[in-house]
Amino acid sequence: MTVLQITRIEAANLAELLRQFREVMDAADQTDPAVQRLTPDAYPDDREASQQFRELTSSDLLSRRKEDAQTVIESLGVPFEMPRTETESLEELTVTLSPEQFEAWLRSLAALRLVLASRLGVSAEDDHDEDDPRFGVYDWLGYRLEMLVQQA
Amino acid sequence: MGMSLLAAPDTREDVDLNQTVDPDRPWQTVVWNDPVNLMSYVVRVLEQYFGYPREVATRLMLSVHHEGHAVVAEGPREQMELHAQAMHDYGLWATIRKAPR
Repeated sequence: MTVLQITRIEAANLAELLRQFREVMDAADQTDPAVQRLTPDAYPDDREASQQFRELTSSDLLSRRKEDAQTVIESLGVPFEMPRTETESLEELTVTLSPEQFEAWLRSLAALRLVLASRLGVSAEDDHDEDDPRFGVYDWLGYRLEMLVQQA
Repeated sequence: MGMSLLAAPDTREDVDLNQTVDPDRPWQTVVWNDPVNLMSYVVRVLEQYFGYPREVATRLMLSVHHEGHAVVAEGPREQMELHAQAMHDYGLWATIRKAPR
């Protein structure tokens, strides 16, 4: 069992991100660079083998990402509303994760970062536009993921 | 598991008469560097999924980071496809190839 502390505002934002993430998985648009990043070419030098691999694996893979996202949302405790006051926002929630939920958290945070990176056009480690608030979210996901890995 | 279909003998194999078949060359699962995945996370995935000791997982992660890629497993093609799929599940950029000569 893994126990983590998260403020209500963080939890609400994470749940909202995951809801959007599920929409991207549902759309499963193979021309979307974020979807392509989550289902990379398995055989970069063999288009046909890559295509075959993709046909056999990608829809299952995207379904598993959706299930992971759902697992994380559920572990946060639904229904979820955006907190209205600062006191409410900063209220600490204690989330207890089973080993399966823990893995779903790791995969989901990593996948969310990949999707955001693709939207933000991150192509190098220090590719950071300080003025873009979405980088705040990207960094926060990294910080949360790092903390979880350290807890493992 | 539908995956084994991928490793079924290629029906066009007889076209490649000039290509020598080398049974000693296994297939490989290769993980590539990307600017997004955290180093600690990659180590955790390699430890957890392959059961590698921390030092091995760390060495592989460092090869990915510094050399751009690392071979994380070798063996039959079907197995490498399962490994690659598992790596994709964790968001790692993994590919499959025949071991280079």
